[in-house]
Formats: sequence, structure tokens, C-alpha cells
Amino acid sequence: MILHIIKRELFDHINSLRFVLTTVILLILMSTNAFVHLRTHPEKVRKYSNNVTKSLDDLKSRTELYTLIRKGPGNLYKSPASLSFIADGDDAYLPRNIYSPGSWSRSGFGSRVRSNWWLSYGSVNPDAKDLRPHATKIDWVFITIYLLSLIPLLFTFDSFSGERERGTLRLCLANPISRPILLVGKFLGTLIAVLIPFVFAVLLNLAVISADSWTQLSAMDWGRLGVILLIAVSYAGIFIGLGLMISAGTREPRLSLIVVLLIWVTVVVFVPSTLGTLSTKWMPPLQTNDQFQTAKKLAIDENNTDYNEQIKATKEKKLSGAQSKLQQLAKMPRENVSPEDIKAAQEEYNSVWQKDGNEELQIKSEFVKKDVEIRERFNRSHLDAQIAQIRRARAVTRFSPAAIVQYALESMAGTGFNRHLQFLDNVHLYKKQFRQFIVDTDRTDNESLHLIGIPEGMSKKAVTIEAVPKFEDKITFKDTFNAATLDLLLLVLLLVVFFSGAFLVFLRTEV
Amino acid sequence: MLRTIIRQELLAHLMSARFFAAVIITLLLVVANAVVLLEDYERRLDRYSHQENVHREKAQEAKTYSFLKLYVERSPNPLGLFSAGLDKRLGGTLEIYHGSVPMISNASARSLDNPFLNLFSKIDLVFIFQVVLSLIALLFAYDAIAGDREAGTLRLVVSHPVRRGSILLAKYISAMICLLLPVLMSLLMVLFLLSISGSIQLSGQDFVRIGGIVLTTSVYLSVFYLIGLLISTTTRRTATSLMLCMFVWVVLVLVYPNWSRFTINPVGDTQAERTSTEEHVNQIWEEVDREEQRFVTNSPLEEDPPWFNLSYHEQGRSYGGGRQMLTSKVKEKSEHLVPHVQKYHEAMETLRIRLAEQTALIRKQSLDKTTLREARWHEHLMKLSPAGLYTFAASAWAGTDLDGMFDYVDAAQQYRRSLIDYLHEKNAFGSRQWFDTSKGEVDWWDLPQFRFERANVWENATRAFPELFLLLLINTVLFTVAFLLFVKIEV
Repeated sequence: MILHIIKRELFDHINSLRFVLTTVILLILMSTNAFVHLRTHPEKVRKYSNNVTKSLDDLKSRTELYTLIRKGPGNLYKSPASLSFIADGDDAYLPRNIYSPGSWSRSGFGSRVRSNWWLSYGSVNPDAKDLRPHATKIDWVFITIYLLSLIPLLFTFDSFSGERERGTLRLCLANPISRPILLVGKFLGTLIAVLIPFVFAVLLNLAVISADSWTQLSAMDWGRLGVILLIAVSYAGIFIGLGLMISAGTREPRLSLIVVLLIWVTVVVFVPSTLGTLSTKWMPPLQTNDQFQTAKKLAIDENNTDYNEQIKATKEKKLSGAQSKLQQLAKMPRENVSPEDIKAAQEEYNSVWQKDGNEELQIKSEFVKKDVEIRERFNRSHLDAQIAQIRRARAVTRFSPAAIVQYALESMAGTGFNRHLQFLDNVHLYKKQFRQFIVDTDRTDNESLHLIGIPEGMSKKAVTIEAVPKFEDKITFKDTFNAATLDLLLLVLLLVVFFSGAFLVFLRTEV
Repeated sequence: MLRTIIRQELLAHLMSARFFAAVIITLLLVVANAVVLLEDYERRLDRYSHQENVHREKAQEAKTYSFLKLYVERSPNPLGLFSAGLDKRLGGTLEIYHGSVPMISNASARSLDNPFLNLFSKIDLVFIFQVVLSLIALLFAYDAIAGDREAGTLRLVVSHPVRRGSILLAKYISAMICLLLPVLMSLLMVLFLLSISGSIQLSGQDFVRIGGIVLTTSVYLSVFYLIGLLISTTTRRTATSLMLCMFVWVVLVLVYPNWSRFTINPVGDTQAERTSTEEHVNQIWEEVDREEQRFVTNSPLEEDPPWFNLSYHEQGRSYGGGRQMLTSKVKEKSEHLVPHVQKYHEAMETLRIRLAEQTALIRKQSLDKTTLREARWHEHLMKLSPAGLYTFAASAWAGTDLDGMFDYVDAAQQYRRSLIDYLHEKNAFGSRQWFDTSKGEVDWWDLPQFRFERANVWENATRAFPELFLLLLINTVLFTVAFLLFVKIEV
């Protein structure tokens, strides 16, 4: 029986004008998406590999341990996602790399210190010089969140109220069909009717994309594509449930139409952006850029003064011996002092002044290490606060299924905010490996003083470049899946909620 | 008779659930977004006045003429609330310096406290009208004729001695009234919110501009209503009419404006043009070195400029964007050489001003061929949809469009010229205070102040006129076609 109902629903839909229009628009959008991707993606991949080669070359030119720690590993780049045609993820608004920061050097009391590499996070604002009008990229996310919600609603808004108006619903229920069966039949029939043009368009899109040699999709990509399709299907299902629910709850199709469309406009078009910015209004305000910079500068300056005092005290303590000898010589009568003595005393003084002893080296090494630590701590905590704010804002926008699907698709496609967080994780991990490598290599050299961060204190042996850890921005299927878990769960939950909502409403309506 | 039909239609609309829902949803969205936008505006205003103070202090700090660091800032546009346009996105800080003409591509923007917030796009009020009210206009229209025909009331009405044109007109007028009500109500709400917050002071001209935006909104909504009416007259069933209307809406409002920007690339690759301009500009600037050479060989000064063989008590120097900022204290014994150095600086800086203007012409040409051409092309493409026409007309009224941004750049260029006049008047380029403070520091008390007046209402109106005219034209065509079809159809 249920098969019969599904079949009838399906035929009804397929023979309708809306089915034709849906197919046309989905095919146009999906094929544009594929062609635009083919036009722009190779350039991105080329740029990325050029950049990576360049920073590898930089790394290779640093053959000494000290230059490695002073100049760092070079720029670190985020690898472009092969599935970026699915979700652009506003990648233009996320930094694509970690730049090497500037450097400083200080001298005083006869010793010179230079900065070590520290991790700093840039920010990008592509809009600042872009005179073109703002627009959203047409990717699968766009097609899914706007069309796979509007189309199901337009397919279902009159499925009960329209039949009730025409009287066919009463006729249908007069047969020995239970209401749940009818509902399930309508649900599945509509779902299949919506999915036929969608799958058709998706196949066209993938056919175009995989025909090109530049964008080879790996087995993992196909696995992710499967999950992505499931997400799209359940999203369409949610809106079919919503449409059926409203259709069952209202008396006439005109009313259900307007209710359905207004809900759609609010939830899909406005909630994801409005609620996101609105929610930040009620969150504790972030440090402003100026406040952050001042606080950081204060901490750095404090460290500098500490260092100055320490190095001054040590030097003065050491110098005092030579100084008093000089003073003694000056007090003695002229004829008792040989010029050699004066010269020797002066040389001793100069050598203490110019050459750093072990103690000073230790102070310098500590200072440089602490400087890096302070800078990284401040940068990191600022970044963490920013990320926390965005996380909370995104949590609020998850009120809208459109936002959930956007986030889930972005995570699965390997773009967007979650991907950026994974990139940062990779960078942090790499930073640790890189520093550990330097410390470990230094430890193997017995001649070294093991004072990291200053040229005098570190091993002078040439480093084999192959041994230096290289940055690889890799993500595994598990990572992407983990990032999307919450969104996937929420989607399934919403699907259940809306379907059972439609069920309850339909059970209680009079025909 | 016309009045009776209008009254009847109006009542039917006003009592309907769709009108109620339309008002509620529009107000809800407008208020929620206005709160966000207002707060955003206040924050930008704060930052603007803070920045301006910083710039002013920085300008006063300079001890020599060459050390003057002058920046100007674009104030946030209060009407950006209605149409954000480029006002918020584009950088607003320009450096004013005699040796470089400020261009729109030089403007720099301060990054947000949380740059990731760019991930959430902000929505202005015009966008709400554009999306929600156009949808509602179609919902009012899709069954205007087809529904009456289906219900059989159309035959009844036509059987009365009423001209068909009047029926169509009555339907049009009553629906437009119903569509404008939510616009006006949300406008009232926004003005109410503005008066509570108190941070935005609107002038009389601003109210005229808002009036212009409302006018454009009604013309825009009328386009969509007429599209719906046209579809409604040509289709037999409301269901068909509805689906066609929705399809048209999705294409015109949702898809096309985004589609055109990323799919069509009318200008092509502009990289070659940019590099060649860069080379050309660098070539022109090489004249500075040649001139310097020539000067040094003909003068009693020795060693390298700009310090030459003078002795100084102290000297400081700072580079930035190709300029040299110098401060020094010349020792007594080199005093006799100072006039020559003054001559050197006078010659060099006058040359810099001339070259800056020369390169500015080249840069402007290249900008017209690359960035600006791209921007204009994409605008034109977007204007193929009424939604695009509406967006650009609204931003032209608000002064947040490209022309508005150029007004600001023009003002900055004007300011640069008045700065040069000021420096000439003080004979700064040839004075010793250009580089030396031993005979006193520069007093900046009469430095000209930067003022930026937005274009007046007439200017805004003329800028918005082409789009408005096109929208009106579309209206007339649609109405005529709908009328002709309606007169001919069988009921």
C-alpha cells in the first residue's frame, strides 16, 4: 500500500511544473559551479605549491641550528581543499598562511641579543580594497541551503491543505489506509521527487569536475562526498517535515504558503548572519586591538628591563675586579707603574666588557626564550578569545538548520572555520616538533653549551636538512568527521523532530 | 467605481493573513538588524573619532616640515544603516603627503577587533526589503487574476460596467498600498530606535535621502508586483502562477546577483596592465635620482645626500612610502653650508610634487582600466536584475556607492593641494626647518584642517536617477503588457 502512495505522490510531482523548474535551476547552478571551479582551482593549487617550495627553499638555506631557531621554519601555508567547490567556506576571510614575524635586536653592556622566531597569526581583510559589489559564491552550500529548503517547502505546502480543499484527502482516508502510512508515503514520495533533480545535477557537476585532470578526487574525497550527500538529503527531509507539518495544521493552502515562505526567509536567509552578529552583542566584549597591543608591549618591555638589570648587575660584578685594579694602578705613583701593567689591566677590563661569560650567556638565553614565550602567550590568548567568540556565535546560529548544514558541509569539504582551526592545530603541533628537534639535536653535540637561542650557546655543527621536520598541513577523514559530528547529530535530531511534528499534527487534524 | 474596487481589494488584503504575516516578519527582521547595525555604527564612530585624534596628535608632533605625518579618515555614513554599500568595507585612512597623490587604492582599513567576525555577513535594511518584500509582492500578485478566475469572481466583476483597465489598476494600487505599509512602519521603528540611541543625528538632507530610498523601494516592489500580475494574467491556474513566480524570484533575487559576479569575468586578467603600470611609475621616479646626481655635482656640498658633509649635534631620519623625513641639529661650523642644503631640498621636493602628479595620472588610467573597470562591469551585470538596480540606486541615495567613495578621495586630493599651498606659503620646502631644528621647531597652529562634506541631495538624486529610471521603465513595460494581455484574455 505504501509503495502505491509513494508512487502516486512521485508521479504527481514529476508531472508538475515545479519539478521542471527545479530541474532547470539545479542543473544550471551545479554546472556553473563545476565550470567556475575548474577555472579557478588549478591556479590556487599552483600558488600553494609554489609557496610551499619557496618556504622549503628558505628552510634549506638555514643550515645552522642557531639560524633555524632565529629565523624559524619560514611561512606555513594552508593547503587548498580539493572539495572547495562544495563549500567555499568564506576562505577569503580566513588567513591562508602563518607568516614569519619581524625581528629585533638589542645591544647594551657590550653584548648583543637578537630575537628568536615566534609564532604570530595574521588576519586578512579582502574587502578593504575590493571595489566590486559583494556577492556569495555559488557552491554546493549555497545550492543546498537555499534551494534544498525552498523546493521541499514548495513541494509540500499544499500536500494536505490542498487535498483537503479539493476533498481528495477525505476520499483517500476513506480507504483502508492508516494516517501514518499516508504521511510516510507522502514524505518519501516528495523526498524522492526532490532528490531526483538534485542527484541528477550533482552527477553532472561531478562528471564535469572529475573529467578534468587537475582535480583528481581521491578515495577519501569520494567518502566525504557520500557523507555530504547524506547531509543534503537529511536537510531536504527536515524541510519536507516542516512543510507537511504546516500543511496539515492550516486550513487553506494560501495560508500555509505564506507561513512556509516567511519561515523560510527568516530561518534560511536571515538567521545565520543576523543571529551571529546579534549574539556577539551580548557576549563579554573582546580586548580591542589597541588594548591587546599595549598589554603585550608592556609585558615585553618589562622583560627587557629585567634583562637589562640582570646583565648590568652581572657585568658590573665581574668588572669590579678589573676596575679596582685599574683604580689601584691610578692611585700608585707614576714611576712604580709600568705601562705594560696598565695595558694588561685595561685589556682585562675590555675583555670582560666585550666577551660574555657563561653567566651572561645564560641570562641572554633565558631572556630570548622568555621574550618568545611572552609574545606567543599573548598572541595565542588573543586568538583564543577571538575563536571562542566565533564559536559561541556559531553555536547560537545553529538555531537555523541552514547554518548547521553550512557548518557541516564546510567541515566535510575541508574549508571554512573548522578547517582553519585544524590548520592552527597542525601549526601548533609543528611548532612543538620544530623546537624539540632543535633542542634534541643540540643535546647530541658535546661541545655545545646547550643554551638555546643564542649563537654562542648552541651547536655549530651543520644540520642535515632532511632531519628537520617539515610542515605538512594534512587532515584525516577522522578529523573532518569529528569536526562535523555535532552538526550531523543536530541534523538527525531536527529531522526526527520535524517528522514527528508533522506526524502529531496530521494525526490530530480533522479532514 | 474605481474607488469601490480599490476599497474592496484593499480590505481583502488588509484582513488577510498574508498581510499580517508580512508586517510581522518585516518588522521583526528590521528591528533585529537595526539593533545590530546601530551598535556597529556607534562602534565605528567611536573608532573614527579616536583615530582622528591620534592623527591630529601625530601631525602636531612633527618638529620639521619634512617630518609631518598627516592622515585623514573617512567618517562612517549614518545612512549605511539603510544601504551599507562600500562604506563599511572599504578602507578609509589615507596618507596626505605632497609627494604622493592619494588614490582609492591607497586607502587602508583597520582590522576588526575580531577579524573572524567577517564570516558573518551583516545585513542592511535595504537587503531586507529587497528579499522579503519582493517575495511578499509576488505572493500578493500570483493569484490576483488567476485566483479570481479560478474562483469565478473575475467573470462576475467583468460583467459589471467596469473597464478592465480599471480592475487592473485597482488591484495594482491596493496591493502597492499594502506593500508600502510594512516599509513605512519599519521606517518608523528605525527612526524610533535612532532617536533612542541618540548617536545618529540626521539632517534635513538625510531625510530627503531616506525619502529617496523609500521611493526607490516602492518602484522596486512595484516591479515585482507587476511581474506577478503578468504571470497571473497569463496562467490559468494559481498553482502554475505561483511556481512561475517563485522561480522568477529565486532567479532574480537570490541566484543572479551572486551568479553573475563569479561566473562572468568580462575584464579578463589585468595582471599585465598592473605590472606595466608599476614599471612605468618606477621609471618616472628614477628622475629623482638623476636630479639628485645633477644637483650634487653642481654644488659645493660633498658626500651623500641628504646629510652631505655637514656636522650635526644630532640627526634622525625615517622612511615611509618613498619619502624622506629628516630632523637634525646642525653644528655651528657647518652653518655656511646650510643654504645649499636648503636649495637641495627645495629642488627635490618641487620635483617630487611634479612627479607625484605625473604618476597619479598614470595610476588613475591604470585604475580605470583594471580595478575600476572590473567593479563597473560587475555592477552593470548585476543591474540586469531589478534587485541589482535597487541595491545600487539605494546606495547612490545613501552615498555609500562607488561615487560616494570617490567624493572622499577627491576631498583628500583637494586637501593635499591645500597642504602644498600652505607649505609654499610658508616657503617650507626651501626653509631650514625642512630638516633642521637648531633655529626653532615648526609651529603647526595654522595647518589647514581636513573637511569632507558628502555630496548633496541633488548629487545623490542624479546618481540614483539612471537606476530609478530603468526601474520605472520596467514598470511601464510590465504594466502595459499586463494591461494588453488582460484586455484580450477570456475570463
